[in-house]
Amino acid sequence: MAERGKLITVMGDEDTVTRFLLGGIGELNKNCHPNFLVMEKDITIHEIEDTFWQFLNQDDIGIILINQYIAETVRQGLDAHQHSIPTVLETPSKEHPYDATKDSILRRARGMFTAEDLH
Amino acid sequence: MEDLVCPLAVLPTAGGDGEGGGSGSECVSMAALDLRAELDSLLLQLLGDLEELEGKRAVLNARVEEGWLSLAKARYAMGTKSVGPLQYASHMEPQVCLQASEAQEGLQKFKVVRSGVHAPEEVGPREAALRRRKGPTKTPEPQSSEAPRDPLNWFGILVPHSLRQAQASFRDGLQLAADIASLQNRIDWGRSQLRGLQEKLKQLEPGAA
Repeated sequence: MAERGKLITVMGDEDTVTRFLLGGIGELNKNCHPNFLVMEKDITIHEIEDTFWQFLNQDDIGIILINQYIAETVRQGLDAHQHSIPTVLETPSKEHPYDATKDSILRRARGMFTAEDLH
Repeated sequence: MEDLVCPLAVLPTAGGDGEGGGSGSECVSMAALDLRAELDSLLLQLLGDLEELEGKRAVLNARVEEGWLSLAKARYAMGTKSVGPLQYASHMEPQVCLQASEAQEGLQKFKVVRSGVHAPEEVGPREAALRRRKGPTKTPEPQSSEAPRDPLNWFGILVPHSLRQAQASFRDGLQLAADIASLQNRIDWGRSQLRGLQEKLKQLEPGAA
């Protein structure tokens, strides 16, 4: 029996989650714990943070896809996340296009080069 | 063949010997030169990775936009509320999973694999025999939870072509997402290697820091 691979999770608005679930990444298991979070109007920042930390601490998750505007609410936790698994990938949403200056990975890469390091 | 002497051996040194003398300072300077060469190569690799990441990001964004357009067309055809969270299945199994492999120490690489892929169903008699046209037919037993159900089926039996196109765009997007995640890991890994080498260099050449 083939070993089951890792999951891809998604946190985003309705369109983002629907599109990635159409791609076939969705899991809703017997305990009714989905591997996705749809941003509804009444969702709180606390719920977003809880779900994000829950996904970060799950062993069976490989990639977390998150809309960039939602990543801003958990930016501190995202910047502190140094492990390679799960990898957090920021994606654009319909109302918020992707901004490379806000991406955690690219900000870290920009911080690699200081004036004294280049001498 | 004298022209092919290692370039490190012909660099001028303080003592003027030029060919790998025994003094500690020469060994240190040669080690520092090695480190610098390694740093340069790592830096070039990092810059190449960053450029590749930017390219893949642009392609992913384009795929996502194509998918949005197709999704919007599907909603126009089926109704605004016909393609959304209300149609999600109560039980889902992932059709797509990630295979993570460790290329080097601490460096993870991802690959998207489709789970539950089955060989095409064979239609027709399995035995070499005459087939009765109006005989009792055996209906195949439904495969219970072996093959993950296609998410397209959540939205109806006959879905518009635009929804299938949206699914195809997002499937391509998933492989791109895995590639981007692998690149991000490589950049992070390269960054930590770079810092390690810079620290070693500072220890070898404290005066130059």
